[in-house]
Amino acid sequence: MPDPPIPAAATAPSDTGIAGISPPGAPPVSPPRAGLSATVERIAPTRDERLFLVLSIFIGVISGLLVVAFRVAIEWIRLLTLGSAPHGGQFRLLFVPAIAGLVVAALVIWFFPAARGSGVNQTKAALYVYDGYISFRTVIGKFLTSALAIGGGHSLGPEDPSLQIGAGVASIIARNLHLSRRRLRMFAPIGAAAGLAAAFNAPISAILFVIEEVIGSWSAAVLGSLVLSAISSVVVARAFWGPEPLFRIPSITLRDPRELLAYAVLGVCGGLLAPLFSLVLGYLRPRLRALPRWSLFVQPGIAGLTVGAIGFFGFPQVMGVGYDVIDQAMHGQFVWQVLLALVFLKLLATTVSFSSGTPGGMFAPTLFIGAMLGGAVGAFEKHFFPHLTGTIGAYSLVGMGVLFAGFLRVPLTSVFMVLEVSGNYSIVLPIILANTLAFLISRSLQPVGIFEIFTQQDGLDLPSMEEQREESVLHIEDALQPVSVPIVNGSDTLHSVSQTISGAPGAACLIRLFDGSWYAIGADELTSVAAALTPDTPIQNALKPDRTPLLFPDMPLDSALHFFPRWPLLPILNRASRGTLEGILTLDDVLRRYRRPV
Amino acid sequence: MAPTHAGTILTPEERLARRNLMLRDAFSLLTLFLITAVIFILTLFLFRSFTNHRQELGARWKARGEVALRSGHPEIAIDDLRSALAYVPNRETEIELATALADAGRTQEATVYFTTLWESAPGDGTINLQLARLAVKEGHEDQALLHYQSALDGTWQGNGYDRRREVRLEMARYLISRHEYNPARNQLLIAAGNAPDNPAIKLEIAGLLEQANAPQDALGIDRSLASRRDPPLAALEGAGRTSFALGMYRLASDYLSRALASPLAAGFSENQKIADRNMLDTSLQVLKLDPGSDLAPRARAERLLAARKIVRQRLTDCAGANPLLASRLAGLVSRWGQLPSQLTVAKLEQQPDLEQTLLQLAWDTEIATAQICGQPTGDDALLLRIARNPWTVEQQ
Repeated sequence: MPDPPIPAAATAPSDTGIAGISPPGAPPVSPPRAGLSATVERIAPTRDERLFLVLSIFIGVISGLLVVAFRVAIEWIRLLTLGSAPHGGQFRLLFVPAIAGLVVAALVIWFFPAARGSGVNQTKAALYVYDGYISFRTVIGKFLTSALAIGGGHSLGPEDPSLQIGAGVASIIARNLHLSRRRLRMFAPIGAAAGLAAAFNAPISAILFVIEEVIGSWSAAVLGSLVLSAISSVVVARAFWGPEPLFRIPSITLRDPRELLAYAVLGVCGGLLAPLFSLVLGYLRPRLRALPRWSLFVQPGIAGLTVGAIGFFGFPQVMGVGYDVIDQAMHGQFVWQVLLALVFLKLLATTVSFSSGTPGGMFAPTLFIGAMLGGAVGAFEKHFFPHLTGTIGAYSLVGMGVLFAGFLRVPLTSVFMVLEVSGNYSIVLPIILANTLAFLISRSLQPVGIFEIFTQQDGLDLPSMEEQREESVLHIEDALQPVSVPIVNGSDTLHSVSQTISGAPGAACLIRLFDGSWYAIGADELTSVAAALTPDTPIQNALKPDRTPLLFPDMPLDSALHFFPRWPLLPILNRASRGTLEGILTLDDVLRRYRRPV
Repeated sequence: MAPTHAGTILTPEERLARRNLMLRDAFSLLTLFLITAVIFILTLFLFRSFTNHRQELGARWKARGEVALRSGHPEIAIDDLRSALAYVPNRETEIELATALADAGRTQEATVYFTTLWESAPGDGTINLQLARLAVKEGHEDQALLHYQSALDGTWQGNGYDRRREVRLEMARYLISRHEYNPARNQLLIAAGNAPDNPAIKLEIAGLLEQANAPQDALGIDRSLASRRDPPLAALEGAGRTSFALGMYRLASDYLSRALASPLAAGFSENQKIADRNMLDTSLQVLKLDPGSDLAPRARAERLLAARKIVRQRLTDCAGANPLLASRLAGLVSRWGQLPSQLTVAKLEQQPDLEQTLLQLAWDTEIATAQICGQPTGDDALLLRIARNPWTVEQQ
């Protein structure tokens, strides 16, 4: 199996974490581990590969169970602290989130410093910086502090912590089985996919998110394990929650293609709102973190008080995860004015909750704001254009995808996420249209995605998957030169080839062989092979057995580099007809192209 | 020496290490399995306790919401039902919540909610009925009628037969309020045709038919009820009232006499009693004045002569009140002048044509003077009643 595209990393984690990125107490990546791995590699070379798949299933099952327990814990805490029917005017809404914030702050600062933040960047850091290491304490801390914060009313979501819990489970299991460092790094994203899949009850979206946002690309080995773990966790989650999608989706059909225009309006609105969300988060978070250290103890409390005040003064919907409110919006329980108010109040509540360092995720708030935005746009459009047939539920659903695409910058995941949570394929056209618009507008207004903003604020340099996707890769055609060297046939004699090559530029020529393959020969090689043969010997009898590689103009330019020590020049072939040359490539051509600005 | 898969030759120590490694892996996987089982049991316990609690909360909030809704506190019901939906979402609670929103006067919210529910179940009778009511509130007549009709054609949980009749009656009431009597009458006749043999329902339909300006149809229902062995008092009264409205004074006097003679009439309100008594008195007086064809010729002639006297006085008074009015009544005066000046009972008995001419002239005069000089009083008013429907007075 090919190696997964996980970068090598061997930085020893420090004990003083930044934003919960560095895992305190992590053991250094020690040489004995490497030695042990080498021994295992020698005495049982297929062990890791076999265990890899089996453990993927275990990781999926355990992650699924922990995510179910995590969500239930959040709900229990919410019931016990905020009551079974929180509504405006209840004083407990004011002080419960504030107290929860203070307790969480103390826990995070004193016991679980790595539990800060959402969990996505922490998982990426584990993958790219710490060899996939996530400590057991981090998993416990993330579970407890996130459950307490979200259950206590902070405007955060359980999905990103679930992702980190899954990654942590994977890391713990892999470490205890003494798998190789390479395998250890691969397990973090596998666990992340399992955690996210269980949280969303949507395996495809989870896999795509991990590929789009965490690892950037995939290979067969990683994909197989991702699928196994994600499916295992979803099977476990569904055994508890049932097979229904995350939300109760009202009937959705696209009866009139002209209605796509209405969805396009939603896409534009989402594309404008997403950068605003990023902007306020990106503005407030570093400023709060720059305050004196003692303030870190009270920031989550003040954030809780702010969120509680919003709830106390009539909008308790912004508190906590908000899945039930999304469900209500999808079923038309709010008028567009209320939905619009919820958009901005949730944005405010989430910004203060997250920026204060309270552990919790951004996914649920993003879905919430998107659903409210979609519902508002849908209700507004239906109010003023009653002939539109799309339901408010459909607009809410598309709205979720729109903000997911625009804010989290995962366009592919956003489409599949909506399809999976709705279980309705007929919504695909509006989703693709609206999500694409939102993604493009958001990207043009705010080129840096929210996860990259957080990474930069944390002083880390994790790879940006969005940048990687957008990176312009040089291809062979960018350095390709016309064929300026002579071409001879394999049946030509050494003498004639020698004469041809002596007057040729670069002192080299290409030899076309009878089987359609090519050989590039320089004057030096020709001289050495000709020494032991008669001049009338066909050149094909004098050649070494290897042949020039098959290279085509659309291949990455760097793929040609490692052939130059062997060949003086490389023929670039036509994919439809290998006997036809598109041009030639020399080392000088390649280097010259790399030196030129893109 | 034993080869590995890769073909490497292992030393005895390495073979031992490999065996230990396999044992350790097996033990690790077994431990992992046991840990998974423990986590599963803990999660299951947590989940079960949570879901049971959710069910309890859902049921509790739903019950509270329903009580609040029934007791006329829709604002409280809204909060309670919303809470119930958060724990146990179901369609019934959603409809109750939307109904609470409508009852609380939050029409726009209720409309949006019901419309969303309708989009997923356009054939649901309850949702269509509620949408019709909201459309009535907002003054959207076309939508109201559309949703009423959809409710009639839609599906209902429980006794759809009764619910459809209730919707039909509600629709009829709405049409009556819009003064669209013909479609209202059509709906009521369908309802009457499909109604069970339940006096209360039939009486309700009859009452609505009266309001829909269809007293004849109402009378038919009331009479069928009144013909029972133990007729409902309301049917007797209704039959009397509708007979009176139709000018069937003989019938009205019969039914109203029976109604007022019933011991249950003591339960009538004072106004109702007075109204019924007035109708009965009027009917009896009309019957006393009416020169009906079923009377003996002499009695008929005597009543006709008495009526002649009353009518002529009415004409004289009316024409004398204003010269302009006199000119409008000139035709009638001329017709009266063409009659013999001396009319006796015997003469009328002998000349049926003259009797008929006099009768027609008397009725024409009452109708014309009522139009020109205003509504008469006293015997003139009674004669005017006869003049309007001379053939129905004695109709049985």
